[in-house]
Amino acid sequence: MLVPSKSARRAVHLLFFALFVPVFALPLLVIVAASFATGWSGALPSGATLAHYRDIAHGDALDALLTSVLTALAASLTALTAGTWAALAAEKRTRRTRRIIDALFLLPVAVPSVVVGLSLLVAFSRPPLLLNGTPQIVILAHTVLVTAFAYQSVTAALTRLDPAYEQCAAGLGARPVHVLWRVKLPLLLPSLTAAAGLCFALSMGELSATMMIYPPDWLPLPVQIFAATDRGSLFTGAALAVALMATTLLVLLGLSRLRTKASYR
Amino acid sequence: MPRTESGAAGTGTGAAGTEMVAARTESAAARTGTGAAVTAAPPVRAAASPRTRFGTRSRRTGAAALWTLPPIAALGLVFLYPLALVVWQSFTPEDGGHSTAPYTAVFAQASFRAALTNTVLLAAGATVGALLLGLALSLVIAFVPFPGGKVLSRFIDLFLAFPSFLITLALLFLYGTVGMANGLWTDVTGAAHGPLDFLHTPWGVLLAEVTYFTPFVMRPLLAAFSQVDTGQLEAAASLGARPWRIVRTVILPEALPSLAAGGALVLVLGLNEFGIVLFTGAKDVVTLPMLVYTKALLDGDYTGACVVAVVNVALSVALYALYRTAMSRTGGSPARRTGGADRAGA
Amino acid sequence: MPAPAATAPTRKEAPAAPGPASGIRFDGVRVTYGRRGEHTVLDSLDLTVAPGEVLALLGPSGSGKTTALRTVAGFVQPAAGRVLIGDRDVTGLPPHRRGIGMVVQQYALFPHMKVAENVAFGLRARRTPRAEIPGRVAEALEMTGMAAYAGRHPRELSGGQQQRVALARALAIRPGVLLLDEPLSALDAQLRSGMLAELARLHRELPDVSILYVTHDQIEALTLADRIAVLDRARLQDCGTPQELYRRPRTEFTASFVGTANLLPVTVRADRGGVDFAGRQLTVPVGDGLAGGAAATLCLRPHLVGLGERPHDGGPGNTLRGTITEVQWRGATHRLYVSVDGHRVLADVPERRRTPAPGEDIALHFAPEDAVLIPAGLTEDGAHHA
Repeated sequence: MLVPSKSARRAVHLLFFALFVPVFALPLLVIVAASFATGWSGALPSGATLAHYRDIAHGDALDALLTSVLTALAASLTALTAGTWAALAAEKRTRRTRRIIDALFLLPVAVPSVVVGLSLLVAFSRPPLLLNGTPQIVILAHTVLVTAFAYQSVTAALTRLDPAYEQCAAGLGARPVHVLWRVKLPLLLPSLTAAAGLCFALSMGELSATMMIYPPDWLPLPVQIFAATDRGSLFTGAALAVALMATTLLVLLGLSRLRTKASYR
Repeated sequence: MPRTESGAAGTGTGAAGTEMVAARTESAAARTGTGAAVTAAPPVRAAASPRTRFGTRSRRTGAAALWTLPPIAALGLVFLYPLALVVWQSFTPEDGGHSTAPYTAVFAQASFRAALTNTVLLAAGATVGALLLGLALSLVIAFVPFPGGKVLSRFIDLFLAFPSFLITLALLFLYGTVGMANGLWTDVTGAAHGPLDFLHTPWGVLLAEVTYFTPFVMRPLLAAFSQVDTGQLEAAASLGARPWRIVRTVILPEALPSLAAGGALVLVLGLNEFGIVLFTGAKDVVTLPMLVYTKALLDGDYTGACVVAVVNVALSVALYALYRTAMSRTGGSPARRTGGADRAGA
Repeated sequence: MPAPAATAPTRKEAPAAPGPASGIRFDGVRVTYGRRGEHTVLDSLDLTVAPGEVLALLGPSGSGKTTALRTVAGFVQPAAGRVLIGDRDVTGLPPHRRGIGMVVQQYALFPHMKVAENVAFGLRARRTPRAEIPGRVAEALEMTGMAAYAGRHPRELSGGQQQRVALARALAIRPGVLLLDEPLSALDAQLRSGMLAELARLHRELPDVSILYVTHDQIEALTLADRIAVLDRARLQDCGTPQELYRRPRTEFTASFVGTANLLPVTVRADRGGVDFAGRQLTVPVGDGLAGGAAATLCLRPHLVGLGERPHDGGPGNTLRGTITEVQWRGATHRLYVSVDGHRVLADVPERRRTPAPGEDIALHFAPEDAVLIPAGLTEDGAHHA
C-alpha cells in the first residue's frame, strides 16, 4: 500500500530477499545441510552421511541432550513458579512497590550471563551451600537467568487480563484463593504455557553461565556443541545443533498445541 | 467479552515459537503501548488504574506483603547475594585486606582496555546494524506486503528461540575458510582459496550479532507498525506525499518508541553477548564477558574476573536502567503520540 | 474508612444472601483518587435504594455513576462515608463478603467455563451444598431463558445470550441486591429493547431484589426504573420518579439529560404572574422559590409545543413567533428548529400534508401548565442547552 507502482514494489521485494536470504534463511539451512555432510569445500557440502546422527544416538551426545532437557525442564518449571508467584504478588502492591519488584526481577536480564555464572561460583563454592560441582548449580543458574522472562511474560499477561473477571468472581462471593485458582490461573494458562516455552528454549540454548559452572558429569548440549567445534569437528557440531533445535522446536510445538487447547476450551 | 489471551502474537495457533517470542520482546512492545492488546483493549481497561489504586488497600496490604516475600527472598539468595559477593570479592586482593588495588591492576592491563573498547564498539555496531536491518525488513513486511510475508516474520522469530552461538556456527559454513561462499568462489574461479576470511575478526562477530539481534528489533517494530492506521497512510498518499516522506512523517514517529526500545535492548544484549564470541574463537576478539570467562576459568584469577564482571555489570545495568526509564516515559503517553501522528498525517 | 467494630465481618464464609429484603444506602459517600485525593470522582453521595426498588443511576460518562456502583460492590473504597446493604455497613468488607449480584457491560463470563459452570460459580464459591447446585443453576438459567444453552461455552453465544447468562450467574446466588453496570450498552438497539422488557419481567418475578442500574441511556432509565438518580460531575443532581424528573426537572441538567428540552433564559415578572422572555410576556406558573425579578430557565418539551397562535381547543396559551431554520423529518413527527429572537426553540409537530419549510415565519404556542421554571444557578453553568 505504501509503494503503489508494481515495478517499484518488485524492486523493494527483491532487495528484501537479497537481505533476508543470506542473513536469515541460509544460516539455519547450512547447519542442517552440514549435519548430513562430511566436507564442505565447494559451493555445496559433500559426502552425504548419517554418521553424525548415529554417533549422537550412541555416544555422550545423547546424555548431553538428556542433560539439557532435564536442566531446562527443572529450570523452567522453577522459574515459572517463582515468576508467576512474584508477578501475582506484585500486582496487588502499590505502584511504587511494584516498580521495585519489577526492577529486581528484571535485573538478571541486564546482568551478563557469564557474570551470573561467576557469581554463583563465588557464592556457592563454600559451605554451608556447597553446590559447585553439582548439577544443581547448573539448574540454579538457568533458573536465575530465565525467571526474569517468566516474570515479564506473566506480568504482561496480567496487565492484559480484564479486571472484570476477577471482580465478577469476587462479587459472586469467591475468596481470593478461589479467584486465583478457578479464574485467574485458568485465564492465564495460555500465557503461562508461552512463558514455559520461552524459559525452556532459553535454558536449552544457555551457554554463557553454563560454561562457567558445569561439572564434568553434567554436560548440557551447548557445551558439547562448543567442545565439538572447538576441536574442529564442525559437522558433528552441526548435527548436535540440529538435535538441539529439533528438541526445542518439538517442545515448543507441544506447548503450542496445549495452549491452543487451553484457549479454545 | 472474553479477549484473546495472547498478545500481539495472535491466537496461539501459529508457529510454535511465535507467542513465546512475543513474550521475550514483550517489555518493549507492552511498555511502549505498541502491543496490540494494550491499545486495542476496550475502554473498561482505562479505568483500571485508579480502580486498583483505591482498592481496599488497608486491609490487604499485610497479606500482600507476606505473599511478596518468598519470591524476593529466593531471588535475594540465588541472585542478589551472589552478585554482592562478586562486588565484595572485586575489592579483595589476593594478598588480603580490602582495597581498590584489584581495579588499579585490571585497569592497567592492555587486554582489559582492549576488551572494553571491543565490547562497546561491537555492541554499538550491532545495535546500529540491527536497527537499520530490522527497520528495513519490518517496513517491507508491514507496508509493502507480499504473500508469505507473515510466515517470514514468524520464521525470523524462530531465531529468538535458538541460542546465539548457532549463528556463528552457521557463519562458519557460510563464509568460513571451507564453506559455501568461498567454495563457490573456488568452484567458479579455480583458485585455491576463497577471498573471504573475516570470521575470526571483529567483523565476523559483528555480522553474527547483527543477524542474531535483528529479530529483537523487528518484533516490537512489527507490533508498532500494525498499530499504524492505514487511513493515515492513504490520507498522506492522497495528499501527494511520496513513500519515503510517509515513512518519515507518519510511520516513524509512531514507531520511534519501539525502535528505541529494541535498540536499547540490543545494546544491553550486545554488551553481554558471550556465545558468539566464544564460538568465533579468535584470540584478538576479546570482550568483557569473554575476559571474565578467561580470567576466572583459564587463569584462575577470580578477583580479576570479579573486577571485570563489576565493570560489565555496571555498564549493562546503567544502560538497562536508562532503557527502562525511557520506556516508562514514552510508554505513558501513547495517546499523545497518536495525536502527533494524526497531525503529521493531516 | 474501616468498618466500625460492631459491623466487623464475622469469620463466616461468604454470607448468605442478606435477607429477602435488603436495600442499599449511600451515606455521605465520597470517592477520590490521586496521591493526595485531589480528584473527586464522587462527592458526598446520599442515596437510598429501597428494598425491591429499581433505582437507575443516570449520567454522562465521568459523572461518577459507575464509581457509585463500584463502592457497593466493594471494588472502590470510599474516602469518606458509609455504604450499607440492608442494615449492614459493608464499607470495609471485601467484595466476596458482600452478597451481591453483579452484571457488567462486557459480561465478563469466564471463557474457560461452560454456561452451567459459569452460573454455578457463585454457588460453588459460597460453598452451597453440592446437591443443591444443579437445581439452582437450572432455576437461574430457566429464569433467563438460557436453559437450552447450559452446555455451551460463552464464546459460542451471541451478545444477547451472553448477557442472559451473566444475569443468570448473578441471580443464581439469590442476591438481595443486584448491580447492573451498563448491562445493555454492548447490545444493538433492537436487542436492547427486548432485553429491557426481559429485565422488567425479571424484576416482577423477583420483587424483593433491589436493583441499582447504572446507565447513560435515558430510555433505559425511564423504562425500567422506579426512581432515577441523575449524576453529573461527581454530584447527585436530581432524584425522583421518571415522571417527576421528566415533567418537573429541578435542574437544567436533568431537563436536558432526561428527554429533550428547550431551555430559555427568562426573568420572573414582578407580579409573579409569568415571565419575560426576549421582550415578550409569557404566562407560566411561578413556583414558591422564585421571587419577582429573579432569573430563571424556562423548560419546555418540544412535543408540547404546537403550531399556530392558539391551541385548537381555544384554551389559554402562549405564543412565540420565529423563523424556521431547519426541518427534520422523523416519521410520525417533524422536528422544527425555530429561531425566536435568536433563541433556538425545538418543536415536534405531527406530520401534516404541507411540510413547513426553512425560512418560513411561523407562530408556535404552548400551554402555561406545560412549562416548568427552573431557578437559575442550580447548575454551575448553562452548557446543557439541547
